[in-house]
Amino acid sequence: MKKVICYVNQFFGGIGGEDKADQEPYIVEGVVGPTMAINAALKDAEVTHTVVCGDNFMGSNTEEALSRILGFLEGKEMDLFIAGPAFQAGRYGVACGNVCKAVKEKFGVPVLTSMNGENPGADMFKKDVIIFKGGTGAVKMRQDVKVLTNFANRLLAGEPNRGCEAEGYFERGCRHELFLEDIRENTAAYRGVQMLKKKMAGEPYQTELIIPEKDLVPIAAPVELKDAVVALVTTSGCVPVENPDRIQSASATRWGRYSIKDMDRLEAGVFKTIHAGYDPAAANADPNVLVPLDAVRAYEKEGKFKRLHDYFYTTVGTGTTEAEATRMAEEMIPYLREDGVNAIILGST
Amino acid sequence: MKLKIGNIPVKDVVLGSQDSFENGVLTINKQAAIDYLMELDDHITSLDIVIAHPGDDTRIVPVIETIEPRCRVDGRTLFPGVTDEIVPAGDGELKALKGICVTVVGGTWGSFGDGVIDMGGEGAKHTYWSKLINVCLVGETDEEFERYEQQKMNHALRWAGHRFAEYLGKIAKGIAAEEFEEYEFEPVADRAKKNNGLPNVALVMQPQSQMEALGYNDLWYGWDMNKYLPTFVSPTEVLDGAMISGSFMPASSKWSTYEMQNFPTIKELFAEDGKSLNFVGVIMSMLNVALDQKERAAVMVRNMALNLGVDYAIVTEEGYGNPDADYVRCQVILEDAGIPVVGISNECTGRDGFSQPLVTLDSKLNALVSSGNVSELSDLPACATVIGCLEAMNRDGMSGSWGYDENLGKSARDDGSIIMEDNNWFCGDHISGFSVKTMIEF
Repeated sequence: MKKVICYVNQFFGGIGGEDKADQEPYIVEGVVGPTMAINAALKDAEVTHTVVCGDNFMGSNTEEALSRILGFLEGKEMDLFIAGPAFQAGRYGVACGNVCKAVKEKFGVPVLTSMNGENPGADMFKKDVIIFKGGTGAVKMRQDVKVLTNFANRLLAGEPNRGCEAEGYFERGCRHELFLEDIRENTAAYRGVQMLKKKMAGEPYQTELIIPEKDLVPIAAPVELKDAVVALVTTSGCVPVENPDRIQSASATRWGRYSIKDMDRLEAGVFKTIHAGYDPAAANADPNVLVPLDAVRAYEKEGKFKRLHDYFYTTVGTGTTEAEATRMAEEMIPYLREDGVNAIILGST
Repeated sequence: MKLKIGNIPVKDVVLGSQDSFENGVLTINKQAAIDYLMELDDHITSLDIVIAHPGDDTRIVPVIETIEPRCRVDGRTLFPGVTDEIVPAGDGELKALKGICVTVVGGTWGSFGDGVIDMGGEGAKHTYWSKLINVCLVGETDEEFERYEQQKMNHALRWAGHRFAEYLGKIAKGIAAEEFEEYEFEPVADRAKKNNGLPNVALVMQPQSQMEALGYNDLWYGWDMNKYLPTFVSPTEVLDGAMISGSFMPASSKWSTYEMQNFPTIKELFAEDGKSLNFVGVIMSMLNVALDQKERAAVMVRNMALNLGVDYAIVTEEGYGNPDADYVRCQVILEDAGIPVVGISNECTGRDGFSQPLVTLDSKLNALVSSGNVSELSDLPACATVIGCLEAMNRDGMSGSWGYDENLGKSARDDGSIIMEDNNWFCGDHISGFSVKTMIEF
C-alpha cells in the first residue's frame, strides 16, 4: 500500500476560519476534512498523515513554517504529497504551492495540488508543481478531488502521464515527445497537409507548438568605456587544447574559465574549439576569431577601457538549452562580480 | 513531368551464391557485390554486407546513410551527378524495392552526423528504418585525413551506398511491379487555378548546407548546396534521385537519401493535388549559416513564391538549432507577403522539457507541426548483436552521445546498454514527414 501525506489549511483542518489563520503548523495521523475524500478515492494507497497550518502563519513566516513542515515529514514513508484543493483562496493557494515545491525539492517525491486559475498561487507555482485546474469554491470539492486522485492513482500505478491537457492541470511550459499510433493519418506529413487544408479553408486548427511569450533580456545601458572592466565570454567552445573541464561538443552542461593573464593573443595549438556546430578550421588556425583577445588587448593598451578581466569564460552553444545556458551564466556571474567586471563581450559563432 | 514508380515488395533478403529476385526474395551474391563496389573506389579497404530484420535483437551504429534500392527502367543512373553523369531527373519510370533499405554503416569510425538504429525492443519505435529489412553495408576506408575528425565526409562509404542501392535495384529490373505510384507534375504555366478554383500550394524545402567546407552537405545533381541559391524544382525530381543526403547535422534531424526518394510531405501534397489544392512545386532552398545568406535565401523564396502565384506554403527544414533561424525567417517573410504557411520541424526543449523549442520564435508562426524533441533521453538495454561499432558513440563525437558525463556515465556502456539523446537516432525525428511523434505539454 502506497503512502500519501496531505496538507490543508486551518479552515479545512477544522480548526476555524480567519480567527485561526495564525495557527502554527502541526501534523496528525490519518485524515482530516477533505483528506478523507482523498483517502477514499485512492486505490492501493492511503493517506497516512495530514499537515495543518494557518494561512497567515504560512504567509508571514513562510521559511519557518516550511522548515517545521519538512521536519514533520522527515523519516516518514511517503510516495506522494497532495496539498489542497485550494480553489480561489489566495493565501491557501500560495501556501499549497510553497509547501509542494519545498517537499518536492527536499524529498524528491511527486507533489500535486489543485486550485482555480484566478488563484495567484496558480501562476506563481505552475512551473514547479503540477496544479490541477480547480473550481472557484468548496462546492467543487468532490469534482476537484476526483480529477486530482484519478491522476494520483495512475501516477502511483506507474502509468504514463498523458499530458496536461488530457490530465487537467495547468500548462507548465514543459514540452516532451508523444508517440502516436503508427498509422498514415498520424504522420507529420499528413498532419501538416491537413493543417494546411484547415488554414486554407479558414477552419479552426490546433498548432502543435504554441509560440510562448518571449523571454527577452533587455539590452544593457551603455557603459563609460574608460572606467570599464571588461570580460570575454563565449559560446564558441574555445578551450585549452586538452579541454580540461571536458565541456561537451554539443548540448553542453559544462563550462570553463581560463586565464588570459599576460597573454596578448590566444595561440593556435594552445587553444582550439570543441564546438560541433560549425567548421572548426578557421577557429583552430586562429582562436582569436572566437575570443578576440588580440583586438581587446590592443584597445586595453591604448587605454580605451580600464582593464581586461584575467579570465575568459567558455561553453558550447550548439544544442544547449536555454535553461542550461541560464544556469551556467548564473554560475559565472559571481566570478565576474568579484573582480568588478562591468562590461562583457559575449561572443557567439 | 511524369514519374512512375513501380513498387516491388520484398519479403526477404538473403545472401547467396548468385544475385536473384524470386518469389519476393532478394538474393545477393555478397562477394560479387563487394568486389563491384571496391573496384569502383580505391579508398574502401574492407566491406561487409549484413542483413538485419525488423524485430531482430540488433543495434546498428554508426549509421551514415539509408537509401532505397531502385533502378531506372531506361537505364539512366539513379543519382545523376553522384553515381554517374548529370542527366535530367524527374520523369520516366523507376522500379523500387519496397520494404528494404541499404544502410551504410561505419565499421569502426563514426562522426557527428551518424546515428543509431535499433531493430527490436523499445528502441525500434524511434526510427522508420526499424520497420524495414536493413541491408547493411559495413565498411572501412583509408580516408586518413578525417579519421579522428568529428565531422567526416564519409565520401567512400556514402558513394558505395548509393552505388549499392542501384546495384540491388538492377537485380529486380526484369521483375514486374505489383503496384505503381504515379506523380504527374503539370507545367505550372499551363494550369491555372481559375480552372478549378483551388489555391496554389508550394513546398519550401530547406536541406542541409551548413558546412562551409565542401563535401559534407546535401547535393543537388551532385552540386554542394552550400554554394547554391533557392531554386524552383519539380517535386518529381526530388523523388527521382536529384538530391542526396549529406554527412552533417545531428542524426535525428537529418533527411537521409531514402527520405528524399520517398519524401512523405511531397507524397501527401500530391495526394491532395487537384482535390483541395494545386501543388505547384517545390522551392528548394538551403540552410547556410551567415545572416546575409539566410536573408538572401528567404527573399528569393518569397519572390519565387509570389511570381509563381503561390497562395499557401509548407516550409520544412533539415535540422534544428542554427537552421531554425532560416525555418522561422522563411515562414515570417511568406506570411508577411500574404502567403500563409504551415511549418514542419522538430523541437529542442531540453531534457527537462522547459527550454525554448526553437532557437528563434515569432508570433506569426501559428501553424506548426512538431515531429519530436532532440533532447529526450533514451536508456536502453544491450542488444544481442551490434552491426558496426558501439564504441563510436563514446569516442567519435556522434551527436547526442558522449564519452563522459558525471551523472550519466558514457553513452555506450561496457555491458552493451546505451544512454543517449534522441539526437542520435538515425533520422529519428523524421522531419521529412514519416514521424508519428508530436510534442505536447506535460
